[in-house]
Amino acid sequence: MFVLQKDQIEKLLLALKESYALYGPTLHEVSGQVLFDEIADIKSLNINAAIPYNPPKYTVFPQFERILSYQYNKSTKEAKIAMDNLQKPKALVGIRPCDLTGILCLDRFFMGQEFVDEVFVEHRKKMFIVANTCVTPFPQCFCVCTDSGPSAQEGYDVNLTDIGDVYLFETGSPKGEEMAKKLGLAKASAEQEGMKKKVVDESISKFEPVAKENKAWISRVMNRITTGFIPNEVWEYIGNQCLECGACSFVCPTCSCFNIEDVNTLDGKTNRLRTWDSCSFEGYTKMAGEHNPRKPVEDRRNKRFFCKLSYSQSKKYLRPGCVGCGRCARVCPGDIGLPNVVTYIRREITRQV
Amino acid sequence: MSDKSAFKILTVPEVAVVDEIKDEIDEVKTFYLSFENKEIEKKFKIKSGQFIMCTIFGAGEFAVSLPPSPENDRFHISVRQVGKVTGALHQLKPGDKVGIRGPFGNGFPFEEIKGKNVIYVAGGIGLIPLRSSIVHVLQHRNEFGRIILLYGSRSSKDLMYRYNIDEWLKIDGFETYVTIDREEPGWSGEVGFVHNLIGKAKVPTENTVAFVCGPPVMFNAVIKELLSQGLSEDDIISTLERHMKCGIGKCQHCAIGRTLVCTDGPVYTYRQIKTLGEQI
Ligand code: SF4
Ligand code: SF4
Repeated sequence: MFVLQKDQIEKLLLALKESYALYGPTLHEVSGQVLFDEIADIKSLNINAAIPYNPPKYTVFPQFERILSYQYNKSTKEAKIAMDNLQKPKALVGIRPCDLTGILCLDRFFMGQEFVDEVFVEHRKKMFIVANTCVTPFPQCFCVCTDSGPSAQEGYDVNLTDIGDVYLFETGSPKGEEMAKKLGLAKASAEQEGMKKKVVDESISKFEPVAKENKAWISRVMNRITTGFIPNEVWEYIGNQCLECGACSFVCPTCSCFNIEDVNTLDGKTNRLRTWDSCSFEGYTKMAGEHNPRKPVEDRRNKRFFCKLSYSQSKKYLRPGCVGCGRCARVCPGDIGLPNVVTYIRREITRQV
Repeated sequence: MSDKSAFKILTVPEVAVVDEIKDEIDEVKTFYLSFENKEIEKKFKIKSGQFIMCTIFGAGEFAVSLPPSPENDRFHISVRQVGKVTGALHQLKPGDKVGIRGPFGNGFPFEEIKGKNVIYVAGGIGLIPLRSSIVHVLQHRNEFGRIILLYGSRSSKDLMYRYNIDEWLKIDGFETYVTIDREEPGWSGEVGFVHNLIGKAKVPTENTVAFVCGPPVMFNAVIKELLSQGLSEDDIISTLERHMKCGIGKCQHCAIGRTLVCTDGPVYTYRQIKTLGEQI
């Protein structure tokens, strides 16, 4: 472990800027919200800002993206197809442990299954990640229930922890190691290293009671969802509150459903666009010819929570699909964010026993 | 799971030429295709029951099952015009080009069912995805037990692959029964629903697999009949169709219950289908 002086953050950012496009938390002046955004001016990066409104998911899986383009000449019958999503390397600075875990879920899903998603790899392969330990949880957070915080365990090049007057600078990869060398950082003393546990323990003690209470329940609810022992009325109750706006999927660091559409441009080219989609939309499973095998809204809700909290899906992520960021609870107009769903199912379980 | 080492076109479609177009039945045409790049043509190997993603330039991409046998058969697809993209495909002329990704999906069992009796039950255009396996099994006739095809459609005009069926009827040892829903002048074959042929054909139940494909009403009636004859749920095999975007297990559009049709399927046993928990 090394030590990074607080005024050295800028040095780190400048060093990263040499080879990467910077992304990190920044206060958006118009909306007053913290966004995870591209950082043009390093002064606008605010590493201490609250958890960003949007997860950094889009840096590896953009909301709209051209994955290829083609041109077909109808008279010569010549077809030219090009994959042209070449990406500049990105550095994510100040990413929260929950969001980093979200990216690791996406890694395992897009790159660790039967097929490797070549579009995702292009974004992901040249990244530099600087995680930031959450020394104070935010009101919505429940990463303690989903084993994804408040301190990052893996997946970072550098992990920062604010221990008061300095940052602990842990390296998680050769790239991180090199960075420590480049910045000429001093080694942390044993006492400073010991501070980390203290800071993390203190952070854990500050979580909202409901997050702490739900901790034991997540695994029981997962068990119920996996085995299907949840009465249909519960799903109906949950489904009835869903307005099918799709907001939950869009703010979720691990939701990754997408749509693909070929869009023609005026100059005779076609762009193949991949865009975020949500299983809550009614047309989601509709097939050509209008047959839709999945109809009622509770089916679709069921699907999202199944994705977040079932063992079969966890096998793809090597962990639960929810990373406890609480964003869906914040945006849902129907009050069925994931923590509430856990509570509903939990109530049902207690009623049954 | 499909064979991981097999060659697949994952992301960027390969260009293929429409060599020939054949009118099949109302709204269904067959398109014979070959890859522009001869290297790809050599490497591209399919299994019965797999599917490809086909790009119609300027219109989009759709998933389509593969009717040709993996061995010595011309590469083709047979497509009913149902939406925007398939509509655009139907406008194409010989010499036009399309894009192809794949082949994807697990495919029908072949080696695993050698030595068994094989029953095919198809309704309407449900014969399209079964054709590959039928032709393949016929190419290896001596390695299987009884081979039976029970095929039904609304009328004689709705029979897919008439030219193949005419050949099949002549093959010794290939028990082919064809039925249409109602009497028709000039029709001398069977009349009635296809599930009624199951008893008539005296289908075997021991050491037997049945491949079933067709519209939901027909499917359910056939399954019921096969089960009552004594076939087990594990020996009834079908292939599912879903809205698909990527073909490689990422977009999640084809999720049914806990499986993805594109990578876990599209071929499932009836026992699996029953536990998926959604409509077929
Ligand atoms: S945010 Fe709430 S209302 Fe909107 S789709 Fe998600 S669950 Fe439904
Ligand atoms: S399900 Fe909700 S709380 Fe869990 S990771 Fe997704 S947005 Fe965050």
